[in-house]
Amino acid sequence: MREQVKNLKYIFRPKSVAIIGASGTPTKVGAVVLKNLIEGNFGGDIYPINPKYEELVGKKCYPSVLAVKKRIDCAIIATPAKFVPKILEQCGKKKIKGVVVLSGGFSEVGNTELENKLKKTADKYKMAVIGPNCLGILNPYHRVDSIFLPMYKLKRPRPGGISFVTQSGATGTCVVDLAAQFGVGVSKFISYGNGTVINEIDLLEFLEKDRKTEEILLYLEGTKDGKKLLETMKRVNRKKPIVVLKAGKGERAAQAAFSHTGNLAGNYLSYEAAFRQSKVVVADSLDELFEFVKIFNQALPKGNRIGVVTNGGGLGVLTTDVIENKKLALAEFSKETTKELKKILPPYANAENPLDVIADAGSELYKKSLDILKRSPEVDILAVIVLFQAPAIDERILNILVNLSDEKKKPVVVIAVGGEYTEGHRKILEGYGVPTYSSPSDAIKAVKKLVDYAHFTRKTR
Amino acid sequence: MTMVDDFKFLEKNGFKLLPYALARSEDEAIKHAKKIGYPLVMKVVSPEITHKTDVGGVIVGIKNKAALSAAYNEIMENAKGKKVGGILVQKKARKGIELIIGGKKDVQFGYTVVLGLGGIYVEVFRDISARICPVGKSDVKEMVMELKSHPILLGMRGKKAIHMKSLEKLVLNVCKFMQKHDIAELDLNPVVFNERGCDIIDVRFKRSK
Repeated sequence: MREQVKNLKYIFRPKSVAIIGASGTPTKVGAVVLKNLIEGNFGGDIYPINPKYEELVGKKCYPSVLAVKKRIDCAIIATPAKFVPKILEQCGKKKIKGVVVLSGGFSEVGNTELENKLKKTADKYKMAVIGPNCLGILNPYHRVDSIFLPMYKLKRPRPGGISFVTQSGATGTCVVDLAAQFGVGVSKFISYGNGTVINEIDLLEFLEKDRKTEEILLYLEGTKDGKKLLETMKRVNRKKPIVVLKAGKGERAAQAAFSHTGNLAGNYLSYEAAFRQSKVVVADSLDELFEFVKIFNQALPKGNRIGVVTNGGGLGVLTTDVIENKKLALAEFSKETTKELKKILPPYANAENPLDVIADAGSELYKKSLDILKRSPEVDILAVIVLFQAPAIDERILNILVNLSDEKKKPVVVIAVGGEYTEGHRKILEGYGVPTYSSPSDAIKAVKKLVDYAHFTRKTR
Repeated sequence: MTMVDDFKFLEKNGFKLLPYALARSEDEAIKHAKKIGYPLVMKVVSPEITHKTDVGGVIVGIKNKAALSAAYNEIMENAKGKKVGGILVQKKARKGIELIIGGKKDVQFGYTVVLGLGGIYVEVFRDISARICPVGKSDVKEMVMELKSHPILLGMRGKKAIHMKSLEKLVLNVCKFMQKHDIAELDLNPVVFNERGCDIIDVRFKRSK
């Protein structure tokens, strides 16, 4: 790993942070970042930097980083672009190893020269620089946060195992907000903007080694080094699943291409090829990104045979349809399993897959059925359909499902179709890390991705 | 470069093409035909004609000497006014499934190889799969499985599966060829596959500038 990539640790786990361009005007980026760090309970020292102020929110304000006597690990720059190279030079002299440049106005508006200057300085001092033109980073474990959006407008997610790498700040914003909403736990969030010094490949390498990261979400618009990206994705994905969303798929090859192949092979085809070759999990939309990401906290299945438990027959049939459509298998219950199930089921229920425990089944019958299926060797995955609308279902089902998912022995997905009341329960389950879906097709699509990934890791390990 | 130069260049690089010869006269065509054996296909060779079929520059299913003479004269007539380097006499391909195997140098990823269902509907169905070079045999298997039409390739309704080893060899060789000669775009289209092997019918390629 390049030293600059290693130095990312100063950005993610700094003991002290300087906010350059800190401001007293509440709508300014430098003001929001300062406020967020303080209100987000960042544990280290905070140094506001701005020659215009003596003091900001009760903290001493310094004219430059060089005026700070103590060591600074990380600087967040929120000044106009033209000052950035000079400030970066000062950061270098101050031996700051990690810098986040939020400022825009570089190559994205044609100002390549300014960006080259930035890179030169960063390389000279071996600084890890995220940005420019980005939202920066978020590490909920360390409470470090450079996202310049007010907390009341954009919720921050809880700490967890998912790291999110995004080129686009706007998409990044939505993902952070939704992650908080769905209760998805985040390890690191990085919006890397122009990727001048640290790009998506460096970040994948860093996250590969990051202990808190179990799964990586990658939102990509393009890359400068496809070969290296392919190679890196291949290696990292074997250890930690990468779910990728590529924007800009519509880009077609020029119609005047020389050959048929030239005509057929648009720009996305190469990306698609690279994704297939590295076996990363491909999402086709933001929705899918979330649907897929949440299932990967589960144990990897040993096969593709699904055991379905439901308190509504129709949804069992719908789920079966999707299972067949996705070329997954409905588990065939063994004689032993059937015998066990018959002992606990009411006489009018059939011990078949999907296992319909009938609408008047209470939470207890779910528990008993799932206890049998989780031990049945012919069942690789548990799909639990819960009609929360049924009168016999009570809050106890939530505990049962959370415990089952926490065992991490067999993957569990919950399918809960319904309105407001159901939605509330779905959210609780998701908050506890149980992959919960609002339709059979969303759930089984995600299961398919998990099965394919498990199949691939079995082959390579 | 003419079509014949292209053919020769590919043969030198390990692509096995259907037997062919360039005829500059009717007599030469007859001689070549005797050697190659019927049925045959004839194609005009001209630097001024890109779409040979559109101008009546290709005649297929030539079964005997009389048909050969007639085809020769017909093509010459159709190509009147254009610079003609001769007529290519080529063995007719065996029956089978038409595939396209191609390559393209991508700005970000370098050489890529593409496999697809060929024939006249190739652009309509866009049933294609791609990989970044270099690729291994397992990649070729995956590429086949990614095609919507893979059941046809694997054999159905009493038809046998295509000769997979030939396909693997061809795809691997496309990667090798592109890398060795810095090819920008390449078409082997169509390549006819059946259970015994494959016949490359037409080729087209362009080096990087």
